[in-house]
Amino acid sequence: MKPGRGSLPLLLPAGAVFLGFFFLPMAGLFIESFRLYVPGSIGSAADAPFTLNNYAELLTPSFAGFFLETLRISVLASLAGLIFSFPLAYWITRRFSARWRMIAVGLFVTLMFLSVLVRTYALELTFGAVGPLRPLLLSLGISPNGRTYIEILVGAGLLHYIVPVATLTLLGTIQNVDPRLFDAAQALGAPGWKAHLNITLPLCMRGLLAAFLFAFTFSISAFVIPMILGKGRVLFISNLIYNRFSEIADYPSGAAISMVLFFVALSIVYVTSQQVAKRWTS
Amino acid sequence: MNGRLLDNALRLIGLTMIGTIICFLLTPIVVTVIMAFDARAYLGPLPPPALSFRWFEQFFSDDYFLRGLKTSVLLAVLSVSISVSVGVATAVAVERADFAGKEMLISLFLSPLLVPPVVTGFALLLFLSHLGLIDGFARLFCGHIIITAPYTIRATLAGLAGIDRSLTEAALSLGANERRAFWDVTFPLARTSIVSGAIFAFAVSMDDVAVSIMLTDANTYTLPVALISSMRANFDLSIAAASVMLMLVTLGLILILEKFVGLNRVIGEGVFRS
Repeated sequence: MKPGRGSLPLLLPAGAVFLGFFFLPMAGLFIESFRLYVPGSIGSAADAPFTLNNYAELLTPSFAGFFLETLRISVLASLAGLIFSFPLAYWITRRFSARWRMIAVGLFVTLMFLSVLVRTYALELTFGAVGPLRPLLLSLGISPNGRTYIEILVGAGLLHYIVPVATLTLLGTIQNVDPRLFDAAQALGAPGWKAHLNITLPLCMRGLLAAFLFAFTFSISAFVIPMILGKGRVLFISNLIYNRFSEIADYPSGAAISMVLFFVALSIVYVTSQQVAKRWTS
Repeated sequence: MNGRLLDNALRLIGLTMIGTIICFLLTPIVVTVIMAFDARAYLGPLPPPALSFRWFEQFFSDDYFLRGLKTSVLLAVLSVSISVSVGVATAVAVERADFAGKEMLISLFLSPLLVPPVVTGFALLLFLSHLGLIDGFARLFCGHIIITAPYTIRATLAGLAGIDRSLTEAALSLGANERRAFWDVTFPLARTSIVSGAIFAFAVSMDDVAVSIMLTDANTYTLPVALISSMRANFDLSIAAASVMLMLVTLGLILILEKFVGLNRVIGEGVFRS
């Protein structure tokens, strides 16, 4: 059988869809990000001159602050996700019977598939300012409308998705680590913590990095979670783009923020996967 | 001796963390389910004194939500059918083709997954309004195709990669033409992967906010967008009722996934399980 040529027309529908709904719009967004915006108008004029202002504006402290806050909460939530998911995945792999492991996998797949709206609403209902925890929070001297609490709540929202996904990723990783290596280390006199530190963790590094990468890219582009749980006090970059569009119709600025977010996301994926490929190829 | 002590302390910390995180994951869901059946007209402390279906009734008597629900379901069904067809055609072509840059082409088809959804939505909005396309449903349709297609392409590619080429070659040497070999041999073998791609795509379409919120118009909006805007306006428990129903949809999708694909395939079979 001669493969190839005959099936190339099958690529046409996807080519049209991806070009028309994705690549051309992204190129248009790139061009828009250099257009001059006149305050008060909706978007840029068709013949607006080109400028770097939209990008220069992002270097001002107030804009840079949004980027830093997004990155900070995302890094912390992703790390917390790994710290909680690793023991969980380890426990499920090594201690559960086949039957219970299936139930656990079912539970985490369900939690992963759970609608982001349901997740966010449930967290707001439970931990938010009017929820059943309010008396407890107040008695502990924590204000549910304080900035720190809101930041933690946004992080918790991200964590609620990161933990199921990271646990499932790590289940796959830990299943492929031979427990006899750990037993051997212990038999040779290493205490359990040392055996984990020197044997189990290094062997799981690839999985941990993959989970971190996923968690982090998910977090920095999060939209609904900061929008609802952040109550306007904590804004992520995605929310900022939406506000530029919906509140002041400054499309060029929204486009510039979009481009920066896109390149940040892309370079994180690129750098991390390069590192993974370089260090853990074997 | 000291090491043993540290081991036990670590085990205790580990178990506490596992307990805490499980509570954290499940408590909000339990609270939401209970609140959805709360008979009170206001948001009071738990547990509710009486249970009722009033919030479900309220949800179904609210035109705003019902329009969103109708749009969402229609949109999900239409865009997933397109995405599955496009996905299967693309995956088959890529799998058969043998040219330099094949990997590159696959990454291009998966690239929408790397772009933050708000950016995708915003780009599409600007592009379509330049073209003069301002109908809400048409815009949403375009948006939902592009966010679901990478999932169907990826799932079908994974399915096709697992099929032994010699099966197709056997069919061809026994006289089947390429089309026949595809429908009788390849397609049935790839079916579970195509189904799992479709389920993912459906879940993505039903759940999306970030792309849809950019593309809605005053009369056409999806259920998640409707829920988000009423969530910001007031904390009405009919959203809890909607959440319970969305949870049931999720459970339904998981059961289909388990029946047709098997959840074990979602995480892969490990070598060293206890």
